[in-house]
This record gives sequence, C-alpha cells and structure tokens, in this order.
Amino acid sequence: MSYGSKTMRELISNLWKWTVDRLERTTIVVYKFTVPKQYVSPFGFLGTLTAIVFAILGVSGAFLMFYYRPDVELAYLSVQEIQEKVPFGFIMRNIHYHASNFMVFLAILHLYYQYFSGRYKIKNEVLWVTGIVLGVLTVLEAYTGYNLIMNQRALLAVNIGMGLTYSAPLLGPSVAPILLGGGLFDLVIRFYALHVFILPLIMLLLAAVHFPRALVIDFPIISAVVGVIFISAGLFPAELGIKFDLTRGIVEVPEWYLTAIYAFLRSGTERFTAGALLPLLFVILFLIVPFVDKSRKLSWRDRPFFTGLGIASIALIAITTVWGFYVDFTKETAFDQLYIEPTVFYGTIGLVTLASFYATYLYMSRMRRPTRPTPTKPVILSPRASANIILVLLVLIALAAAATFYTYSVNLPNHSMFYLGISFFLFGLLLHVYRHALYTGERLRAQREQRAETIAQ
Amino acid sequence: MTARRRILQGFLTAAAVAVLSPFINLIGYFYRKEETSVRRQKIANLKELSPGSYIYFSYPATGDSKVDNDPFRQYVLIMTRDGQLRVYSRVCVHLWCLPAYIPTRGQMICPCHGSIYREEDGVAVDGPAAYQSYPTNALPMGRIEVDENGDIWMVGIEGRIGYGREWHALKPEDLVKKV
Ligand code: FES
Repeated sequence: MSYGSKTMRELISNLWKWTVDRLERTTIVVYKFTVPKQYVSPFGFLGTLTAIVFAILGVSGAFLMFYYRPDVELAYLSVQEIQEKVPFGFIMRNIHYHASNFMVFLAILHLYYQYFSGRYKIKNEVLWVTGIVLGVLTVLEAYTGYNLIMNQRALLAVNIGMGLTYSAPLLGPSVAPILLGGGLFDLVIRFYALHVFILPLIMLLLAAVHFPRALVIDFPIISAVVGVIFISAGLFPAELGIKFDLTRGIVEVPEWYLTAIYAFLRSGTERFTAGALLPLLFVILFLIVPFVDKSRKLSWRDRPFFTGLGIASIALIAITTVWGFYVDFTKETAFDQLYIEPTVFYGTIGLVTLASFYATYLYMSRMRRPTRPTPTKPVILSPRASANIILVLLVLIALAAAATFYTYSVNLPNHSMFYLGISFFLFGLLLHVYRHALYTGERLRAQREQRAETIAQ
Repeated sequence: MTARRRILQGFLTAAAVAVLSPFINLIGYFYRKEETSVRRQKIANLKELSPGSYIYFSYPATGDSKVDNDPFRQYVLIMTRDGQLRVYSRVCVHLWCLPAYIPTRGQMICPCHGSIYREEDGVAVDGPAAYQSYPTNALPMGRIEVDENGDIWMVGIEGRIGYGREWHALKPEDLVKKV
C-alpha cells in the first residue's frame, strides 16, 4: 500500500486510526471520555476539573523545581529569585500558587455537590472514600508546599504541625523526628520529598481508583476555569512574605484552608484535641456517611438529617475559617491578640450547628413538594448571530493577548497574568458559542431535511 | 484444601516472612542516628565558668556549618548565679525563636514574644510559653557529665526540642552527673 498519492489530511487521519487501533491494547480504553456537544452543568464534572488543576500543578511545579533549592537558608532566596529575576518566574510561581488554592476549593465544591446529591451511595462507596482521602492529601500537599518557601508563614505552619505531631498520643514522639530529622535543614528536604514526589504519587494511585469510568472533558469550562485562576493570580499575586528569622515575632496567619484548625488551636483547648482530633472527627464523619445513610433516597430533599449535617458542616467550616484570620490588635500582647475565648468559640459552634439543623428542618417542612421544574427555554442563536459573537470575541481575545504581551514587556507581570486570564476566559466563551453554533446548525439542517421529506411525500 | 497443600502454603508464608523481615531495620533509615543514640561531646571546662556565665554551643556538632547553625542544635550552658550547671535547648517552645540568657536576671528571655524561662529549671514563668499546658512550657535540657578534670560533657537530651519537657518527672539536678 502506498501513501504517495494521498493528501496530507488523509495521511494524518490514517495515522490517527492506526494509533487508536493500537490503543485498544492499553488501559486507556477503559475510560470513556465524553466531550459534551451542549452546555452541561459543571457541577457534574467538578472532579475532572480538580484533576486538570492537579495536572497544571504538576507541570508548573516541575518547572519551579528547576530553580528551587531545598535548603534551609537558600530556599527563601531561591523563591525570591524565581519571583523577581527568572523570566516568567513570577507567573510560573503564581500559576502554581493559585492553582493550589483552586484545587483545594474545587475539591471542596466537588465534595459537597456529591454529598447533597447522594452520590456516595449505591456502589459508589469506594469512590467516595478514596475521594475523602484524596481531599485530605490535597490539603497536606498544599501544606507541605507552602512550607517550602521558608518564610514566616511557613515557619508558623511547620511549628504548628510539629507541635501537633509531637502531642499525638503513643505515636507522636516517634513520628515527629521522621519529619524533623536533625533540624530545620533536614525538615525542608523531607518536606520537599513529600511535596514533589511521595504525596503526589499516592494521590495519583488513589486517583486511578477514584476516577469513574466515564469522564467529561468540557473544553469551554476548562478554559474558563484556567482563566479564572489567572485572573485571581493577577488580582491577588502571591506574596513572598518575610524570610523566617528567629529573632523576630511572627505576624502571620496560615493559608485559608488551615485557618479553621488555627482557630481551634487558639481557643486554649488542649493542642492535640483542638488541632487534630476535632478536624479528624470531621473527616471521619464524612468517611462513614455512606455506611450510615443507607436509604435508597438520593435527593437532599428526602434526607433532612444528612442535609442538615451538610449545612452545619459548611457553616462551621465558614465560621471557623473566618475566625482563624481574626487577630484582635486592640490587645497588647501577641498572646492576647490571638487568644480566642473558648466558651464563646465552642458556644458559637454549638449554636451554629443547632441553627443549621433547625433551619434545614424548617425549610423542609415549609417546602412545597417540588413541582416539575418548568423547563427554561434554551436561548437559541441563529448561525449568523453566533458567527458575529465569535467575531467580537476574537477581537477581544486579540486585544487581551496584546495587552498580555505589552504589560509583560513593561514588567507588569501581575497585569499580564490578569489579561492572560481574561483571554482564557473569553476563549472558553468562544468555544461555547462555537459549540452552540455547530449544534444548532446540525439541528436546523435536520429539520430542513425532514421538512423537505414531508413535502416530497 | 488438602493437608499437604496447607502445609506448603505455610512454608511459603514462612519463607516470605523470612525474606522480608530484615526490612524491619528500614525504620532506622528515617531517623538521624545522632538523635537516637547517646553522643558525648565536650562543651567546656569548669575553669572557664563562674556563676552567671554562659556558653552557647551546638550539639551534636558536626563541623558542617549549615548543620551546626541549625536552630534545633543550639544550646546554652549556664552556670547559674548560685553555681549550678544547666544546659538548655535554645529553641523557645512557643514559636521557636532563640531566647538569650540574661545573667543579671538569671533568666532566658525570648526576643519574639517575651517568654521568660527560669535559669534553674528552664520552666517558662511569663509570656506565651508560660500559658502553654504542661509539658509544653519548659525548655528541653541537656544531660551533662562532669569528669574529674572538670571537663563538662553533654551526653543527651531530655525533652523534645521546640516542644517541651516533662519536668515533673525528672528534677533538673538529676541531669547533671559527676563522674
Ligand atoms: S517564640 Fe519565644 S515567645 Fe514566641
């Protein structure tokens, strides 16, 4: 068989077919990738989005390794170098940092969407449990990551982490030296190994179990999410903080996904109970939910107790997270500034829990039986209108791209990130309109053909 | 299952256990040796000290400046104002700053948030460290030996650096031995 006379296009499509045929022998065919032809709610595939952000973290993290030095003195300086001297370094670090925040955030959203829609039931128990473990690992991964900077915030976090480990009954005293080694010089290398290899490896293995077989890859949403990551990076560029210095008081709070634990620690409760047992209780609660909630009902409407529990947990996470940030600067000493009155703290927690349950039950009793939701009429654009919108978007993207280049060239990397985000976001929108145009075009053609047929008859 | 088959399976399991058992020593890989074994290190001679004097040093010293400068290896040898020898970790049990010994006050004072430790037993008496619950309100101590030449040797650590020491259990003078 000769390919000589064939066009380039055919050649490529042959190569493609050839490859796909051979992929049958691999595990990749186990997954069913779906690229939706129409808009579907992103809540259904938050997991895939989380995985994609994880991939972004893997790539940007690997590039950061080119310059990062896991050394107690040099670590901070190397991050500073990445941030200030390395071309594109500022953006690389911000991608990594903001993607990590988004990964935690998306994972939480994913958890709650699955929780309220009862997806942990009916043979999904393994998916659910691996998901919870993955969530915990995600936070640990983020924690070991921001400690690598060795700034004040990192030292505070390491201090708290070591304190918690030491205070763990039985195992604590023998586990802590594994993390610490001979001192901070060992600790930073060990955290580095955990962060770049050990934890991600475990996460990948778990993800292989956690992935359901059908995966939705929705390019418009992916592009928009990447856009939002960039936009937030541009608006709130990651800070370097102050290099750790053991002669200066730390004025820092932890990263937002840990301030909840910080609030507990500051309430004067015994360290291990406050910082480890209570959060662990929370995790365990989620772990056992599928084994307790055995009913066959899926919708949150039919499960008032578990809905109440979910609402209460969200309220508690929100309140303790905000509380952890709060520092009372009217007080004189650092200790008093941070101290949280336990009666007020635990009192609030109790009240919020009760109020959440009460509100849930009240809402459910007042709730009218859900009538069939009246289907909203989808907006349908004519092919011409779609084409016009795409054209406008194209112009806007070109402008945003030009702004990205310009701001980068005049050394305003955070503006550059912002415009980059805008262009990604607009591109997502463009993909969406494009998809819509294809879909409606197909439908119009089908309708026309049908009409022609009836006329012919 | 036949009896013979069960016996064979038993052999297989025993063989697997025998092959894998040496890996129990893998545990040791995760600890730095010096943290788990006794190490004698000379700090000073009695002649160099007088009441209210002190010496900062690192332990276990390796000669590698990066390692020796690590805060977790910083200690202070104090001859208290009434002539007692004491060795304390210099890492504040609050947030790990390095307190300094002030001879005139007979206290170690932390520069960060002002925790104050007594010279006689390293227990925090003021500042955030003093509010921490037992055993996280005292500096870890060095075990020392004084030989017939007056040489002072550090031979181990009591407590967990940057965390605390169970100071109800052992009196500070029990950590100073004359040999
Ligand atoms: S670190 Fe010593 S008082 Fe805070």
